[in-house]
Amino acid sequence: MSDYVIETEQLSRSFGRKRALNALSLRVPRGRIHAIVGANGAGKSTLFRVLLGFLPPSDGASRVLGRDSQALTPEHRGRIGFVNEEHTLPGWMSAEAVTAMQRRHYPRWNEAMYRHVLGHYHVLPHQKISQLSRGERAGLNLALALAQSPELLILDEPTLGLDVVAKRAFLQALLDSNATEHCTVIYCSHQMEEIERLADNLIILERGELRHMSSPEDFCERIRHWVADIPFRAPDHADVPGLLLAQKIDQLYHYTVLDQAEDFGAFLRAQGARYVQSMPVSLDSAVNGFLAKNHIAPAA
Amino acid sequence: MARQQALMIDIATGDVRPISKQIVDAVRLKVATGELTPGWQLPSVRGLAQQLTINPNTVAKAYAELTAEGWLESRPGLGLFVATPRQRLSPRERERRLDDAIQRFVHDVVSLDYPADTVLARLGDELRALATRKSA
Repeated sequence: MSDYVIETEQLSRSFGRKRALNALSLRVPRGRIHAIVGANGAGKSTLFRVLLGFLPPSDGASRVLGRDSQALTPEHRGRIGFVNEEHTLPGWMSAEAVTAMQRRHYPRWNEAMYRHVLGHYHVLPHQKISQLSRGERAGLNLALALAQSPELLILDEPTLGLDVVAKRAFLQALLDSNATEHCTVIYCSHQMEEIERLADNLIILERGELRHMSSPEDFCERIRHWVADIPFRAPDHADVPGLLLAQKIDQLYHYTVLDQAEDFGAFLRAQGARYVQSMPVSLDSAVNGFLAKNHIAPAA
Repeated sequence: MARQQALMIDIATGDVRPISKQIVDAVRLKVATGELTPGWQLPSVRGLAQQLTINPNTVAKAYAELTAEGWLESRPGLGLFVATPRQRLSPRERERRLDDAIQRFVHDVVSLDYPADTVLARLGDELRALATRKSA
């Protein structure tokens, strides 16, 4: 058994001239909850489609649960649970009909798990899928995916478009299921709150490339927010080491920087700062700063 | 059967402190103020994770840190319990932390422009109130 649930090697996929995946080499270890974060167009959806064998790569290779993505059998696919934001289930079918279909389809069906997860929701067996709320559809989808006893569960923005209550219910149902005792969870989301609550490991993709992978805490420690009072000319952005974000607010210069130790303060003083202060940042600010690197505001 | 004590804490996302650190800080405070009674059992890892809607590994990490620092003790097969207080820091580290805390306090207070006697009296009141709560 492979130690990695997902392995990609120099994986590329282009659509016309656009590169959705750019020589991506990613290895996701077995177990725990891994969050994948990236701006829109970072290549997450393409990555999943290639991983699950729905789309061939332009170059490179990918393996999922130790097997080449392009050679997955139905038996292998059955070991992968997938929940996406659309919650696409046939609207004309009743909840019990969909469930009966899935129950027949997956040999490792776990009825107790299905009932347990769905216990978080008020879904009646005879209700048509189209009559369920978005939150209930998400819950039903999660129950179906977990009941197939997957080794790998991919949740692709599962709470997108859900209200606060439904979001929380989804997280509770997921955590309460003890899913991580049986499978590896990949959780894609833009919701930093959810990532903070769930993720053991944070994977950041940008323009089809792997930009970072570590625990969320270790990631936050790479980034720090500095404020300096520079009475004369502030340094050019290009000269500021590790700069992610720069802003002039009132008379003070704010810098969010990456991988800079305490000597960044000495740098600012050398640039004429009368005083400098620094503070750690939240995960939300850290990820935003990291992804905003190429959107630096104009010099004041 | 040991008595289990509820852990009345909440966590905030979007904070500069990671969630595990927030749990560590909250438990330390509750032990230090006597709100958590030595010998009582804490919620299980899964229980607290459920209560806070967070990953159980985050709770496990916080509990491990608290246990390593001597705030909690693990009784194999039974769970985690509030430890009987003892001095957890070396004399030097203890001295250093006291120094830091006093410096921070002085910095905050100096700009308020109160006479030193007033500040000391207020501080004394607070510390005595804490001691009463602890012995109660």
